[in-house]
Amino acid sequence: MYRPFLAGRYLFARPVSYLAIVAIGIGVGALITVVSVMNGFLRETRSIVRGTTADITVLPVQQPSKGEIAGQAAYERVVAGLPGVAGVTSRLVRPAVVKVHGRDNLSLNDAMVGQSGHINQVMVMGVDPVAESKYTEFTHYAEQVYDDSLKVKEVQEAAAASPPRAPDPARLFALDRKLIRDRRLAKADLPRILVGEQRMLIQQLQPGDALELVTLPDDVDLSGATLASRTETFVVAGAFRTGKYDFDVNHVFVSTPDFKAWSGTHQEFSEMAVTAADPARLPELRDGLSRALDHAGLPAVVVTWEERYAVYLGAVENERNILAFVLGLFVLLTCTITFSMLTMMVQEKVRDIGILSAMGAPALGIGAIFATCGLFVSALGGLFGFVAGEALARNVDAVKNWIESTFHIEIFNKEVYAFTTLPSEVNSWLDAKVLAVTVLFSVLICLLPAWRAARLDPVDALRHE
Amino acid sequence: MSEAPVVLRATGLQRRFRMGQELVHVLHGADLELRAGETVAIMGRSGAGKSTLLHLLGLLDRPDEGRLQLDGTDTVGLSRPARARLRNRLVGFVFQFYHLLPELTALENALLPRMIACGPLRWASERRAAREQALGLLEELGLADRARHRPARLSGGERQRVAIARALVGKPRLLLCDEPTGNLDERTSEVIADQLFDLSLRHATTLVLVTHDSDLAQRTGRCLWLHDGRLQPLDPGPALPAEKPRPRALQSPP
Repeated sequence: MYRPFLAGRYLFARPVSYLAIVAIGIGVGALITVVSVMNGFLRETRSIVRGTTADITVLPVQQPSKGEIAGQAAYERVVAGLPGVAGVTSRLVRPAVVKVHGRDNLSLNDAMVGQSGHINQVMVMGVDPVAESKYTEFTHYAEQVYDDSLKVKEVQEAAAASPPRAPDPARLFALDRKLIRDRRLAKADLPRILVGEQRMLIQQLQPGDALELVTLPDDVDLSGATLASRTETFVVAGAFRTGKYDFDVNHVFVSTPDFKAWSGTHQEFSEMAVTAADPARLPELRDGLSRALDHAGLPAVVVTWEERYAVYLGAVENERNILAFVLGLFVLLTCTITFSMLTMMVQEKVRDIGILSAMGAPALGIGAIFATCGLFVSALGGLFGFVAGEALARNVDAVKNWIESTFHIEIFNKEVYAFTTLPSEVNSWLDAKVLAVTVLFSVLICLLPAWRAARLDPVDALRHE
Repeated sequence: MSEAPVVLRATGLQRRFRMGQELVHVLHGADLELRAGETVAIMGRSGAGKSTLLHLLGLLDRPDEGRLQLDGTDTVGLSRPARARLRNRLVGFVFQFYHLLPELTALENALLPRMIACGPLRWASERRAAREQALGLLEELGLADRARHRPARLSGGERQRVAIARALVGKPRLLLCDEPTGNLDERTSEVIADQLFDLSLRHATTLVLVTHDSDLAQRTGRCLWLHDGRLQPLDPGPALPAEKPRPRALQSPP
């Protein structure tokens, strides 16, 4: 009984014990919070990447002998015919230079947002809205725009109908010509375009504004003799929002026929988005697709969504692992505070050790007093850190907002990370393991001073001044 | 007195210490037999090995040669934990410098040997009885109102009385005191000595006093002189060692 009793008395008579408890608590709490936030990042990043990327993408390879890519129908037949494929839709993709109609190319606004990327560049996606809506979240992107005034007309009408109905994907690109801002453009039958909500806000666009897209033709001769470009004016039909910031800024959607007319491309498609029947078995399906296309003589690169964004996802995961490693070392470092605290305590308590021996405390019991001290400090500190870390991790966004509004600083740049709230995924089981390892490690390194206390000769200890 | 059972029997105790290159024989065959309830004073010059002898008798140290029986148990071959248990059960120590634990109150200090004897479960059932016993002892020593004070707030005499309560709380057969009044003024010494004799008599504890104080030694039943590593009875007569002034007590044996 004297072991925990004396351990408690020894500890709480010393301010340094509280310091050790707080240090371990901070270490454990920081580790738990940071790992939770990083796991949240990873989850959000994956879900956003997942949302804007098909399960599997088929990228056709140009055959040098034929000089052009085989037909879309041939590819779609092979892909759609494979068991495990739930659906397939083709897209055209092409980079373009973008300019807002009627404004100077580098407006003040553009310069201000220059840090967010190349606002004058954009990836144009040519899609068939009906096929796209069937197998991807395309309609949903149009619906989840925050600002109602930026929404596509069809989405607004569908939501206002009673009862609300699902928007018709075929009408997503529709915009009444009366709504075209520049009256001079109203007469021409201009193609429509969907722009990401983020870009709409940055460039202060409204539905009815016009964008000029410039691209180079397929057979471009870059030697400079005759550099022809292809330009078309598109009218903004409305916004879409995927939630992935850089996707929303850097991508625009047009319909496939408009895309072809604008770019003059000979290609029927640039990539094929495949929806899998079983999303858990993508690698098998990828291999099957690869083999089937090979067999049919249609060369293509087939990648899963994870492979397509492997570098991006890997970077976030890597960041999490490095932070966890560094903070783990920090926690171990705080454990050594317990070690030095106990080493000092044993030195200070040599005579007490002699007295306890004289009263019949066995050597192991005396060692146990100090080991118990280590256990108390690490368990209390770890528990404190566990509770604080879990609480912080669960409310990290509220805490971030409070700090930002109180001290007028931005600690979370949403342009660096693709989301507007600070995500966090708390894994209590993992946190409990962090706590257990901390306590275990603390007690283990405390065994050394405890053992030294146990080994003291009682007669020498009694004589100690 | 000689009919009382033997509490401690030491024969041929030897203890050597290595001081650099030299081997110093501190004890050189000390013999001692103590019976229940006996009071014995051990005197000797500084450095004669009195404390070493006391540590051996209290099982804090092991003799190099010789035998030591405590309450009928041969102790020399026992393991460290077994000796610790025996020490806890049979021996109480009182030191010159009190040796109380500063973080504990007087009562907690006095309770410590009982706590050491008990595991957490047994302590739960014995705690109340042990507390009452320790409080009783403190009361007997006139410290009832000091039970909750830390040693730092007690006077020297009070501290030593707490130490006596601590030594007696486990009802030991043997109470070993190393200069118990050596650090106290004369008046306090007398009071403490009175209480020591009184309590050891009432609790039927064998009392061994190591002391330089001949007045204190005079009050014991038997006086031994540690010289040349051996214990000799200190009898009235011319055989007294010249280095030490003859204790007054022995001019008129009790």
